[in-house]
Amino acid sequence: MSEAVMGFTIIKPHIHSFIHTTKLEANSCSRLPRQCSSTGLFNGWQQLEGRKSKRSSICKANALPDWPLMAVLVEHMDGQRDLITHKFVWHLSDQAIKNVYAFYIIFTCWGCLFFSAMKDPFYDSEQYRGDGGDGTGNWVYEKQDDIEESSRAELWREELIEEIEQKVGGLRELEEAGKKEELIK
Amino acid sequence: MATASLHPKSLSPFLTNPLSFPSPHFSKLSFLHPPHHSHCTKRPNLLHAQQAINNKKKNPWLDPFDDGEDPEMEYGSLFTDGKQDEDPRPPENPDNPYGFLKFPAGFTVEIASLGQKIRGDVRRCCCVVSGGVYENLLFFPAIQLIKDRYPGVQVDIIASARGKQTYELNKNVRWANVYDPDDDFPEPAEYTDMVGLLKSRYYDMVLSTKLAGLGHAAFLFMTTARDRVSYVYPNVNAAGAGLLLSETFTPDSLNLSDGGYNMYHQMLDWLGRPFRSVPRQVVPPLRVSISRKLKEVVEAKYKNAGAEKGRYIVIHGIESDSKASMQSRGDTDSLLPIEVWDEIAEAVRGFRPVFVIPHEKVREDVEEVVGNDASIVFVTTPGQLAALINDSAGVIATNTAAIQLANAREKPSIALFGSEEKGKLFVPNAEEKKCVIVSSKTGKLIDIDIEAVKRAIQIFDVSLALA
Repeated sequence: MSEAVMGFTIIKPHIHSFIHTTKLEANSCSRLPRQCSSTGLFNGWQQLEGRKSKRSSICKANALPDWPLMAVLVEHMDGQRDLITHKFVWHLSDQAIKNVYAFYIIFTCWGCLFFSAMKDPFYDSEQYRGDGGDGTGNWVYEKQDDIEESSRAELWREELIEEIEQKVGGLRELEEAGKKEELIK
Repeated sequence: MATASLHPKSLSPFLTNPLSFPSPHFSKLSFLHPPHHSHCTKRPNLLHAQQAINNKKKNPWLDPFDDGEDPEMEYGSLFTDGKQDEDPRPPENPDNPYGFLKFPAGFTVEIASLGQKIRGDVRRCCCVVSGGVYENLLFFPAIQLIKDRYPGVQVDIIASARGKQTYELNKNVRWANVYDPDDDFPEPAEYTDMVGLLKSRYYDMVLSTKLAGLGHAAFLFMTTARDRVSYVYPNVNAAGAGLLLSETFTPDSLNLSDGGYNMYHQMLDWLGRPFRSVPRQVVPPLRVSISRKLKEVVEAKYKNAGAEKGRYIVIHGIESDSKASMQSRGDTDSLLPIEVWDEIAEAVRGFRPVFVIPHEKVREDVEEVVGNDASIVFVTTPGQLAALINDSAGVIATNTAAIQLANAREKPSIALFGSEEKGKLFVPNAEEKKCVIVSSKTGKLIDIDIEAVKRAIQIFDVSLALA
């Protein structure tokens, strides 16, 4: 911000008073430290102390408290029309620029992933939805082996039940045969 | 020692010096029991093979400090003898006051693994089965044998994609995974994935029926199982495999399937070996079990084709280039063109012939030759074929898995073979199994005598009369 103001105050005299004496140069240079020290307090219109023949005033508009957007410099010289200079300042600190770019990159990457995933047919496919899971995409199960394993286990139980039934049937037959024998006796 | 030398000794180190056992154990030793002896005399080829195993000298590189059984070693009464228990782990006790201890009070985890060390228990077993449907089907007795010998064992299978389908018929298997052991250059990702899978399952025993060289032996070694048992190449390719395996079998030829029905006899022999007081385990016959769901699916299929339950005869073995032909690797000449089948089917009286096609493209050929009203069922998996055979009156087939399935379900069958030797190899004890073997005189299946087949078809009429 201070640089901007310094740009106004330093360059302008150069443009308009190239042919002035060296004293003026020295004078303008000597004014520098004072300018710098005071710029931090600027807000709104401010009168710059110039030489008698020239007065100038600067108007700054801030977008945010520390973020100057536009400055208008009005220079008034005796016997001449006022010189009005607009300067738009789009000034961000290095840190702010970094933040902006970081945000941009993060949003782009996240957006690519998120918005592309919204349209991805894989997540609606049988491969993804079919094998269970809760649709969050954190796991894809292989259920086929489990199904086969459980069906074989069921087969084993079926056979076992059949065997038991056969044995029980055989026992019953034996018992009945025994009863009949008893009856005959 | 005289008794011991008369009998085939197991390779088990515990039996190498039987006299050193204390007397109570000695009285229980199995080779004193006569049934074991009679069993061996019944199967001379097995006896022979076993002697060959016994003559095999011990590999000193496996363990240079293994001087055999310690003669002064004394075993207590715990976990030393007999078979393992069905399930050593009692059900979890939800009322356990100790919370994180999931096992119930009184269950001693500390000694739970002793059985595996002292007695050689097998809790988890993995079988890597090479080959297609036929080879996997013939491995069923081995699985049953493992189940009988080690009660409560969990058997997992690694097989090729075709072979894995067979385990739909086996109730004794827990997991069946697809990994083609016959692939010499597997995808690196698949290979490492399978190694990791097997290692993380902590198997006690890994059996492999692929002829192992150094590569396959390394694969088995990486499972870190205690017993790594495999067939090895009968030639120089086996070099180095024995170092990584704890037990090896050398087959008679490069193709294990040449052995026919008893192709795994060396492995079965080793699996059923007597141990202390456990007698030799008898090899069970081939049996398959068919689930209700499968039966329903197949019933819909053959009803759709116009056949009734128990009133049709399955014809299997139509020539085609399909992968689902279910041939054995030991008998490549085992398919007949549809014209021959048509002649045979014409002789079938009282039953409806059902042609099983391995691929839909064969349907047209069959319709062309047999006629549009022919019953055609499209079956590719052994499970469906078994269910189809189960509901049939009988089977006429060449040397395909259908013959073995018919024998397993005790259905009458007619087996067409290229030569008589093959017939004896693949269907031993044919009469017991209600199987009639018709073999070609010239050694080529295509020259088979159709009149002989027609004469043999009468066995179905007999079964009809009985039914």
